[in-house]
Amino acid sequence: MMELDGVTHTYDTAPVVEDLSLSVESGEVVAIIGPSGVGKTTLLRILALFIEPQTGTIRFGDTDVWGCSDGERLALRRRIGMVFQEASLFDATVGRNVEYGLKVRRSWRDRLSDGLSEVLRSNGTPETVEEALGVVGLGEQLDQHAKSLSGGEAQRVSFARALAYDPDVLLLDEPTSDLDPRNTAVIEEAVAEARNRGIGVVIATHDMHQAERVADRVAVLLDREITEVGPTDTVFESPADERTAKFIDGELVY
Amino acid sequence: MTVIAGAVPIVSLPAFPFEPQYVWSIIDVSLYVSGLAIVFSTAVSLPVALLLGFTEFRGKQFLQAIINTGMGFPSVVVGLLVLFAVSNQGPLGGLDLVFTREAMIMSQFVLATPAITAISLAAVSGVEENVRDAAHVLGGTRVDVALVTIKEARYGIATAILAGFGRAISEVGSVLIVGGNIASADGVSKTRTLTTAIQLEARQGRYETAMVLGGILLVIVLLINAVVVRLGEGGVMQ
Amino acid sequence: MPIQRRTFLAAAGTGAVAGLAGCSQILGGNDQTAGVAGETLTLTTTTSTYDTGLLGELNGPFEEMYGVSVDSVAQGTGAALETARNGDSDVVMVHARSLEDEFMRNGHGVNRRDIMFNDFVIVGPEGDPAGIQGMASATEAFTTIANSESMFVSRGDNSGTHTKELLIWEQAGVEPGGDWYQETGTGMGEALNIANEQGAYTLSDRGTYLSQRSEIDLVILVQGPIEGGPETLANPYGIMAVNPAVHDVNYDLSMAYIGYITSPQAQDLIDGYRANGEQLFFPRALSEDPDFQQYVPEGWSSNATSG
Repeated sequence: MMELDGVTHTYDTAPVVEDLSLSVESGEVVAIIGPSGVGKTTLLRILALFIEPQTGTIRFGDTDVWGCSDGERLALRRRIGMVFQEASLFDATVGRNVEYGLKVRRSWRDRLSDGLSEVLRSNGTPETVEEALGVVGLGEQLDQHAKSLSGGEAQRVSFARALAYDPDVLLLDEPTSDLDPRNTAVIEEAVAEARNRGIGVVIATHDMHQAERVADRVAVLLDREITEVGPTDTVFESPADERTAKFIDGELVY
Repeated sequence: MTVIAGAVPIVSLPAFPFEPQYVWSIIDVSLYVSGLAIVFSTAVSLPVALLLGFTEFRGKQFLQAIINTGMGFPSVVVGLLVLFAVSNQGPLGGLDLVFTREAMIMSQFVLATPAITAISLAAVSGVEENVRDAAHVLGGTRVDVALVTIKEARYGIATAILAGFGRAISEVGSVLIVGGNIASADGVSKTRTLTTAIQLEARQGRYETAMVLGGILLVIVLLINAVVVRLGEGGVMQ
Repeated sequence: MPIQRRTFLAAAGTGAVAGLAGCSQILGGNDQTAGVAGETLTLTTTTSTYDTGLLGELNGPFEEMYGVSVDSVAQGTGAALETARNGDSDVVMVHARSLEDEFMRNGHGVNRRDIMFNDFVIVGPEGDPAGIQGMASATEAFTTIANSESMFVSRGDNSGTHTKELLIWEQAGVEPGGDWYQETGTGMGEALNIANEQGAYTLSDRGTYLSQRSEIDLVILVQGPIEGGPETLANPYGIMAVNPAVHDVNYDLSMAYIGYITSPQAQDLIDGYRANGEQLFFPRALSEDPDFQQYVPEGWSSNATSG
């Protein structure tokens, strides 16, 4: 559904990622593993259409995302969800946070009348918001203020926020690296749920065990390049690339 | 008889020296002029603050220098510049704005905008980059991201707006020059504000009545500052 | 007669409404007069006419009579004329004949009329350290103050009073300066207060001094001509329309105002105006004998220009 082909991106003069090719299909979880600072975040930001790479093409369906109009690109962008390493919640209630993606997709006229009914306190919370919070086990916390949540809860809200508008692609950038095992488990279950819904998930992680647990396929990013892509079992058990093998055996230390 | 005698105050308070209608009209003009000036200032300051905070463009440093200079601009100089602009001989002479509230709004706008911009800039710069990124990846347009930024910085921005209002309403130099301190013969203020009324009383050596007006101005400014402090505390508490 | 005029206009208005009842929408609120009603006259004047309260007394009936409003901006004489020179006021009422003449000669002002006069007085502390009390000459008094280097407060603001003060120094042949001479750059009321605080002498118009006398300790040491003092201390007020050939001004209304100010009605108001029980201004516009000099710069004659 989404595909990178020969993508190189350079900050200043040093390339950060070089000649990347990768795809994600709906209902599939692709894990990008690699040591810290190897360009995983850059790769995800390219997938999120945050950054336009200097060379290479990115396709969403049949559309070249940097070859189309701004309006079309916005529409494509709105089919992508993303969760950062930090929860990055807005200074508002949990409900307002999760609602945000739905709100910005409404017309200005509707948003104005929403604002009015907000003042009149006559609008309820959209079902999808409660439903998305239910996926991460926080259905009851709708009216709690985001700043009063624990780090784990905040990250779960952040996940629900990206899920609420039912994206086609979900990008997760080290979503559990700051979390305890319990909250990590909730997120991993939520990833499985997203996959069941037919969402294509790309998860960047430095935790190889997590990749083994959640991914259908794994891409290994070493030295700015993807050294190996394949089904999870194949990559972990019989990597074709020498560097990949060393990395998986823990010999390659960065 | 004794009961009535007991009700007589021991210290006789000085009679309020003005017609209530006169004082109300002065307060009205002060709030109208400063209030509208602040509305326009805010409408200009916020986009400029966002622009300065999050984009690179040619002339950015120059704009920043203007704002920093503008914060310390003496109000009488602003008054003179606005007077030159709106005077019959000036570029806006055709609009007949000399000695009107509109001219006063213009000069207070010029005075308040740099302060509101600078304080708002500090507030929006404090908004975390990843929160802005979140608004973007969740499908927000540039406008949505700007709105999120404003919302996140709302306490700081409120402080900026109220600080600008405080500067505007306590200012005397420019409104005296461009407004002319006019009250009609029936005692209704046209361009007389609390500050210029105080100046008028002081000019005539009537310091007691000037103090009464000063007290009213002080109460208004204190109320505004109380609101600023409350909002500031709210911002820290959150 | 203005009362009658208003009655007539009101009656005409009513008739128009009755006759054109079906068109009242079109007429809107403007059926009363087609003239100047609702317009605004901008008058720049001196602090002395404003701060004594006289203007409020005079303008009320005028606003009533014409259905207009008068925006009085109280500045010093110099500033009032400068504002008019920029075309930002319609009519000026000031008290410095030399500056008024210059204003007319430069083509900015037309139709000058004398309105009223009062006089200046030299005031100072009761102790009178320089010993000027009762002097019959203002220049002599100034020379004495300068020689004794007694404190003197000057307005220093290019106002009518300041202009007069400088004229007296000039006539006395004294160049004021030094520690004893202070320019305040403020209005008359403030200057009196400063002189009061410092036990200094100052030149004041009688009106402002009288209206403030109860709050200060300064006393009159040299009287003006109203109380038999020297003619040098006379303080005549004039009014001029801003020249409509030079500036975009409300000339009709300013001429109406000049007409009103110099009318018997307004002159009576000036004559009867009291502050703290004292008469501050003396009307001067009405005279059975012609006074051609009030219309032109002082000393002007047709021979001088044609020759």
